[in-house]
Amino acid sequence: MEVVWSKRLVSFAVSDVLAELEKQREIAYTTVMTTVVRLHDKGLLDRVRDGRRYLYSPKVTREQFLESTAWTVLDEAVGGRAAMAMLVDKVSEASAGELDALEELIRQRREELGA
Amino acid sequence: MIEAAFPVLGAAFVVLCVLPVCALLAKGVLLLLERDEAGGALHGLDLRYALLTFASVLPLVWFVSAGLQQVWSGGSELACLLDHGARGECAETAFFLLTLGASVLLLTVPAWRDHVAPPAASSEAQQALAQRLERVFAAHPALQSLRGRVHATRAADFAIGTHGLFRLRIFVGVAFAARLTDDMLASALGHESEHVRSLDPLRYVLLRATQAINPLGRVLLAPHVARWYAAREAHCDREAVLRGASPLPLADAIVRAARPSAREQVALGARDVEMLTFRVRMLMAFSERPPARCCEQGPAVAPMVLVLLALTVFLPGEIGADVLDTLHACSERALHSLVR
Repeated sequence: MEVVWSKRLVSFAVSDVLAELEKQREIAYTTVMTTVVRLHDKGLLDRVRDGRRYLYSPKVTREQFLESTAWTVLDEAVGGRAAMAMLVDKVSEASAGELDALEELIRQRREELGA
Repeated sequence: MIEAAFPVLGAAFVVLCVLPVCALLAKGVLLLLERDEAGGALHGLDLRYALLTFASVLPLVWFVSAGLQQVWSGGSELACLLDHGARGECAETAFFLLTLGASVLLLTVPAWRDHVAPPAASSEAQQALAQRLERVFAAHPALQSLRGRVHATRAADFAIGTHGLFRLRIFVGVAFAARLTDDMLASALGHESEHVRSLDPLRYVLLRATQAINPLGRVLLAPHVARWYAAREAHCDREAVLRGASPLPLADAIVRAARPSAREQVALGARDVEMLTFRVRMLMAFSERPPARCCEQGPAVAPMVLVLLALTVFLPGEIGADVLDTLHACSERALHSLVR
């Protein structure tokens, strides 16, 4: 779904996803096809027959998907002690690696959008 | 001593029995709302806030309103079991109100006291920030309403936050501001401007106060409060983007604000990182496709809250203060049987 959303694929075949993924690493066609079919089975992708192949399209946006997972995330929320409205609570030093990963994710998205 | 029965036992009954029952009812409704996943965890925040606070506010308003109306009409002696002599004046309802008021005040003092503004930075730091803000405001007209509200603070490790109950001010840590680009600062201010627009610091303090009054408030409602706080911050991110903030610089500012300095001891754990990651991913989604304004029950909540408050204030006068009278009589009977 990451490829579908970030590359804004609207109507695509398995080979289109394969082409995008192959830019990053070597990957088998059957692996991509299995994943795409599973995403369709889970209701994240729609598909229509186009000759001998299927054309897929995303059923939900990234935002809708994230919102659907929000309760799970919020169930873990333990904040709410602040007397002021703060931008964000600070996290522990142990989470520095996760913050680095998030910064990297944002940087990558910037590059993608810039490109 | 028996004259103190209603003021003391009545106030204790309201705080120790009525408020917890209301908290239990509010929890039931909140669970039903939260089970309705289709509604979305980030929607219906005003309704959830109303439930969280009204569990304490409405019963208190009801008893205070009933008490005041009884004091003015002089009707409390009708329920009173005591002989007040030839003058027949029964001041016990007034004392009940005083006891209840004092209890509420005592229990909520910590919530108000914790709301302390961070210390202001030196005038040089303030000037440097003001100059930078001029640039930011010029480039982002949507932030003009924040003119004169943004102050630098010298509080160590302070990132950015909104303080004040009625005259709201945004405080920006000097070191934190230095780590942000103008775009990031503008986006973070966009997030805070939603807190200003919605009077969030006042809401937060009220929420803390209502939790403090209610003996079961913390136990029963704490998870819902935590979820509300977290969803509220995500909501402010969305509103900031809707009002023109750039999603990725805001995501960057959030991650930088969450990072503690080497000196800082932060006891929060991975759970907070999950929420942080969620917010960052939402902002990344907004960078692909701008969010749409939500049309959930928000606009309907304010009139509903006003109607409910008005009913709670005026209903005791219209239908009689039977509840208060029963409480009055029961308190005196209870003490009488104990003394006997």
